[in-house]
Amino acid sequence: MTTDVRLSGSERVTPLRPAAPVPPKRRARRDWIGYAYLAPALVFYGVFVVVPILQSIQISFYDYNGLSVASWVGLDNYAAVLSDGRLLEALGHSFVFLLFYSVLPVMLGLLLAGLMSRIRIYGLTAFRALLFLPQILSTVVVAVAWRGIYDIDGPINEFLRAIGLGDLARAWIGDFDSALPSVGLVGTWIEYGLCMVLFLAGIAAIDREMYEAARLDGAGAVREFFSLTVPSLRPQIVVAMILTVTFALRNFDIVWNTTRGGPGTSTTVPSVFVYQFAFQSRDIGLASALAIALTVVTLAVVGVVLLLGRERDSKGGRRARRAS
Amino acid sequence: MTSNAFRSRRPHRVLLAAGVAALAVGLTACAPGSNSAGGAETEEITAEVTPEQVAELGDITLTGWADVAEQGLMEQFIPRFEEEYPNVTVDMQYKSFNDLIATVVNAANSKDAPDVFQGNIGYAVDGALVEAGLVRPLDDVAEVYGWDSDAAAETLAPARWNEDGTRFGSGTLYGMSVITEVQGIYYNKAKLQALGIEVPQSIDELEAALPVAAAAGEQPIMLGNADQYAAMHVYSDIAAAEQDPQDIRDWVFGEEDATFATEGNLAAAERIADWAQQGFFGEGYDGIGNEDAIARFAGGEGVFFVGGSWNGAKLTDAPAPGFGMSALPDGGVGAIASPWHISANSDASPAAIAFLDMLRTPETAQEIVDTGRLPVLLEGVTGDGELESETLAVADATIAAGGQVGYYDWTTTDMFSVMGGALQELMAGRTTAEEFADTVQADWEGTYAG
Repeated sequence: MTTDVRLSGSERVTPLRPAAPVPPKRRARRDWIGYAYLAPALVFYGVFVVVPILQSIQISFYDYNGLSVASWVGLDNYAAVLSDGRLLEALGHSFVFLLFYSVLPVMLGLLLAGLMSRIRIYGLTAFRALLFLPQILSTVVVAVAWRGIYDIDGPINEFLRAIGLGDLARAWIGDFDSALPSVGLVGTWIEYGLCMVLFLAGIAAIDREMYEAARLDGAGAVREFFSLTVPSLRPQIVVAMILTVTFALRNFDIVWNTTRGGPGTSTTVPSVFVYQFAFQSRDIGLASALAIALTVVTLAVVGVVLLLGRERDSKGGRRARRAS
Repeated sequence: MTSNAFRSRRPHRVLLAAGVAALAVGLTACAPGSNSAGGAETEEITAEVTPEQVAELGDITLTGWADVAEQGLMEQFIPRFEEEYPNVTVDMQYKSFNDLIATVVNAANSKDAPDVFQGNIGYAVDGALVEAGLVRPLDDVAEVYGWDSDAAAETLAPARWNEDGTRFGSGTLYGMSVITEVQGIYYNKAKLQALGIEVPQSIDELEAALPVAAAAGEQPIMLGNADQYAAMHVYSDIAAAEQDPQDIRDWVFGEEDATFATEGNLAAAERIADWAQQGFFGEGYDGIGNEDAIARFAGGEGVFFVGGSWNGAKLTDAPAPGFGMSALPDGGVGAIASPWHISANSDASPAAIAFLDMLRTPETAQEIVDTGRLPVLLEGVTGDGELESETLAVADATIAAGGQVGYYDWTTTDMFSVMGGALQELMAGRTTAEEFADTVQADWEGTYAG
């Protein structure tokens, strides 16, 4: 059903070109009207997104404190970013967060969506809304709440003590070994609801006859989940991955409001340093360079996700073609 | 449908190319930040500003930005000021400390900059203000009003800067603070009595009391270090007891060849790590915020709380016997609160000067005490309750002992997080005292060496 997308450019354009060319005048006017409709949004997007991004790129080549005249330093800021060992460590933490902010939520979301679509639950809408709730809460509120949950006298430790595992109790976000995964799990909790809702919508779009066919072929719940539901959800999984990966890599508020990068440097992420460079050191050039570098890393990771998604897609397509 | 989408892609490519070209031109065109508003001429004063001079300004509004912590004081002070100078209306805006330091520099750089405002000691705020010429030099004012010869003259040092705003501690005066902060040992009176411990008067006496408290099943010191700064204060109190405060001051103000790896600092590092390893700070202190820790202490957890005088406000309402504060006469760092500045572009500078003058008077000092803070001018002020009086005594003792050396984290713009994080590692037993000192000194050298 999506084979046309994979055709090469020349194959695509030739047969689809309309027989009679549209008069140029009319076409120009129609384009103009289209842009007029877009204009309010475009202006907004330009002023608040495009211009600041371009300014950041510009400032990243300067030594600039936000007040005095900036001086051109070429790639010095980028050299400083690349040679700062703290930033490499922070990037490492970000990649650990990919597991917690992206991989785990997608897996949990798939599991929950699979369950919800198969089992008839009374009050399903209410459950769905509840599970989606973390996504709409302010992350500052979430961070403060989790700080209480992870507290040395918080519910997790109380529970551990109650069942005789008091030795495991610790200040979860104040302990060098547990801080990073603990902060990561907050991200899992925020993101799985979004993934679940995306996947539920995707499942609703799968042809019911496919399930019938699968069941006639003798597929059980597990087989049906892995052979039909998951492959059919590929586009939704890619979207969920892109959203959660970006969230993981630019994550600042959760880390800042739970640990500030501590204890020691065990939960630092690049965006914590962007904040410190810009607002504490007033080294706006360096902050911009780091932000741009982070954007490039994010785009690269998202690119890999897209590539992986597409590769599997074409394999599936080939199989489908062979079968027909 | 697809065909139209396809054809319109070509113009997009052209647009994109044009955009890239425009970007390349823009990048090399003009440097950002060339429209700085600073650099107005200053009219120096040679005599005190008179009410007549202020009256000559006509009906004016003196605009200001202040830390919200000053609001209580300002609400008493401003009506008194407006009575003295009836043609002046003060319009003061209050910001939380974090909002203030994040935005005050840009506000000072705007066309309608406030006439008077609070900055913050160190390079990120005051240094930027000085470098950009946004604040009025105050040497003439200090001389005329005798600030540089009164009892608190030494507290002006952190507001003195060299010309390009790269070193502070001496040089031209650019700000003035009337509020100070001291460190001390808060103690739970009932628990000391029950444990039979005398009020500790030094770090050594405190150290001797810790195992006694621990043996009785109490948490000796309440600490909340999730924000990474509470332990820094405990550390600096120990460090100040281990060496001549002057050594710390030299390092804080970036004297040449100063080093953090002094015997005193290393001994203090070993001591605080030892305290932490023995469990004197309890468990999980890195997971508790300072605000939570002081609330727990107020609620009766822990025997001691080592920290700054700003924590006292949470302890004053406790039922008897309540809490006391003990000085660290052999140490105990402290520093002034955010200094007040006059905008270099103020068109009401006589009124602004009168405002700062009136802040530094005994009447205002009493108002500062009455609103729960510590004035730099301590002579003649009296505290309301027992804890307030004790805190005043602590401030007196600390200033007399020369312990007001400032804070370690003033040294560089990121020392707060570098030292805060390194101290957490040290206390968790992950690094040695030497490694801790190396990390801190490396950051210091990044700013001061060469």
